[in-house]
Amino acid sequence: MLTNVFIAGVGEKTMADGQQSRGEAAGNSMLGPYRVLDLSTERGLLCGQILGDLGADVIKVEPPGGSPARQLAPFFEDQADPNRSIYWWAYNRNKRSITLDLEIEEGRELLRRLAARAHFLIESFNPGYLRDRKLGYEDLAAVNRELIYVSITPFGQDGPKATYADSDLVILAAGGPLLLCGDEDRPPVRVCVPQAYLHACGDAAAGALVAHHERARSGLGQRVDVSAQQSVTLATQANNLAHRLGADDARRMAGGARVGSQRVPLVWRAQDGYVTSIFLFGPQLGVFTQRLMTYLHEVGACDAATRDKDWIAYGALLASGQEPMAEYERVVRLIAGFFASRTKADLFKTALERGLLIAPITTVDEVLSSPQLDSRNYWQTLNHPELGRSFRYPGPFAKFSESPIVYRRRPPLVGEHNEEIFCGELGLSDRQLTDLSRRGVV
Amino acid sequence: MLPLDDVKVLDFMWALAGPGTTRTLADYGATVVRIESANRIDGARTVGPFHRNKPSHDGSGLFGTYNAGKLGLSLDLRKPQAREVVLDLVRWADVVCESFSPKAMRAWGLDYESLRAVKPDLIMLSSCLMGQSGPLSGFVGFGNMAAAVSGFYNLCGWPDRPPSGPFGAYTDYVAPRFGAVSVLAALEYRRRTGKGQYIDQSQAESALHFLAPTLLDCAINARTEQGVGNDDSNCAPHGVYPARGDDRWVAIACPTDEVWRRLCSVMRSDDLASDANFATLADRLRNRRQLDQLIAGWTKGLAADEIETLLQSAGIPAAALKDSRQVCEDNQLASRGYLIEVEHPVLGKTVIEGPRFLLSRTPARIPGPAPTIGRDSQYVLESILGYDEQRISDLAISGALQ
Repeated sequence: MLTNVFIAGVGEKTMADGQQSRGEAAGNSMLGPYRVLDLSTERGLLCGQILGDLGADVIKVEPPGGSPARQLAPFFEDQADPNRSIYWWAYNRNKRSITLDLEIEEGRELLRRLAARAHFLIESFNPGYLRDRKLGYEDLAAVNRELIYVSITPFGQDGPKATYADSDLVILAAGGPLLLCGDEDRPPVRVCVPQAYLHACGDAAAGALVAHHERARSGLGQRVDVSAQQSVTLATQANNLAHRLGADDARRMAGGARVGSQRVPLVWRAQDGYVTSIFLFGPQLGVFTQRLMTYLHEVGACDAATRDKDWIAYGALLASGQEPMAEYERVVRLIAGFFASRTKADLFKTALERGLLIAPITTVDEVLSSPQLDSRNYWQTLNHPELGRSFRYPGPFAKFSESPIVYRRRPPLVGEHNEEIFCGELGLSDRQLTDLSRRGVV
Repeated sequence: MLPLDDVKVLDFMWALAGPGTTRTLADYGATVVRIESANRIDGARTVGPFHRNKPSHDGSGLFGTYNAGKLGLSLDLRKPQAREVVLDLVRWADVVCESFSPKAMRAWGLDYESLRAVKPDLIMLSSCLMGQSGPLSGFVGFGNMAAAVSGFYNLCGWPDRPPSGPFGAYTDYVAPRFGAVSVLAALEYRRRTGKGQYIDQSQAESALHFLAPTLLDCAINARTEQGVGNDDSNCAPHGVYPARGDDRWVAIACPTDEVWRRLCSVMRSDDLASDANFATLADRLRNRRQLDQLIAGWTKGLAADEIETLLQSAGIPAAALKDSRQVCEDNQLASRGYLIEVEHPVLGKTVIEGPRFLLSRTPARIPGPAPTIGRDSQYVLESILGYDEQRISDLAISGALQ
């Protein structure tokens, strides 16, 4: 019963909205009836995009002049311009854009009016920024008790480090994964495309939808609190538990990783680049090693005695000293020699045919020409009419049989939808909008 | 009441990317029945870190974290009697999740078309490395391999060295977020329309969203980015600097001239502050190798925590790099309930990671430990499926409950 009441409420809101969103809601999308206000800085852009990809009507609320995230490189044709930031494009499709100055009371009042009819709000300001401007969760819940208010911050809303300054690198250091990455004789190293906040945004989108599921029953919204530091802990593969469990930490190692005294090689040189391969033992991984050694024997790269070692129990044999470490190292060199004599493509082809754990270490341009992604029609083209160009975007994060993800809108220009939303939906007159614009509110 | 306590999940996930998805659902109240055969245990059970450093099927902290709060039903899917149990569970479930290679569910007659015949509004998520179709659909492997194929390896490392790659099975840390979102969105769609559906998740395709800016840059500007150490075109200094002690490091980032001046002040270096070689971001980017040496000269005499506190008090982004001991001593993570003690029937008190995000009004349930193999078989068969004693004992005799 409660569910029906809530759906009716949502329906009314949607009907009250402008033509645009009503048209979109009528589509076959998962979140079509819902509106998202996306106030996020560069920390939170992916969260709103996920909801937008799922069909929600996402309104990006930017300060006048555009979000600071639009200043981030790379730029189209390397020309720095708020409407040419490729970083911005990557995480703002399927959104509309309005501008609003939250430092001015009139701007805040317009935001409260928008929040009164929204279903989700996403923000990533430092903790307390919005509360100090009377736009905190409690303030907006007072005008809309159904609102789900998602906060993405470096360290979380509360706690001794909640106000610490941050960056991608700093978050990765604080959550644990950074120490595990890189060569042992150099400082730890990150993936050079920032990752920390993307993990947080994924958790934020999941949190928003958990709260949404509950709201269908209770009719009530709530606060979702995401800490990027905590989100990146997942990227340690539970190594963060090692101390408390009384286990050894994994350690970084050039070309692999080290656990206790065991060195696990993962990066191998091929004739024309590198591949990753797992040479490990035990009931599951040992089966793959058996297959690899069988293949190496077939092509004359190892003798029968090496092929026939007990690859399932091999780890235990090494640990007990029954198998000397020097013998293990001989086999590693033998495999390395074989990989170095073949191309990445050859090795990958063999891996697919024989079920071996070998994958090519692929460059970004090779990803773009992947036959696998082509055959699944992964890439999506969005037209940027103001530039007279179309660009190829990474495609849907999953394929849904009934309600497929659709790329409806290219990333918006700064304030592109001011008139549509302020006049068309909030009912401001053209003159009022011009006046607000002149005074820098929008 | 928990947010998802009306959601029932039949879970064939294994390793990391799949179970990471259903862990989130279990934290918030979904009933998750996890199928695992004693004849084919989940590989995650064989990966550390292990409780008291002793490898055992129940001692893996990795398995323990990814499967906390789920019910364990032991079934050997090769036995025809097991298939009947599965179909009864499909009738019970809202969602079926699986993360085998694409052929496996079909081979058992448990593909979406077969299951939909039993349960028309079923939601089914299949999650595998490369997706259900395409020339690489049969590519079996782990998240480190999907990370290599998707470009992550080549973007992590030093320009003068072979690629380092991010730690471990990287796409397995990305895919669970998109997996959970997909299931929840499909549940919402079913709530409004009554329709279930099939979700084909390629873990590699999900993960490419974490490289979207560089993929677009390559498609648009024909630039192929490669690993550049810790350099960042928007910050200088920006790097990981040595601190006092063995393998101790601190990360420091200066995004603006103002933050740079503050760093000079903390370092008590008037010379640096007035050095024209480092005046603007462009200057500092140009001379960053020299800058890195100067900063390392200062950091190496101090403890990493001490540097973090000094710099953060001045509003400079900085953090000590943490190993697992320092993570569990971190009062910030502790304040969010990051590590949780659970009572395990075999291990006694052990530790798992807590829920990944916090809800204010309907917080997660502190999950119980991950199941031992077949721990909840009796409960699932008797209480969820309503089987009588005779039927359960027949099943046991047939070997289906292995």
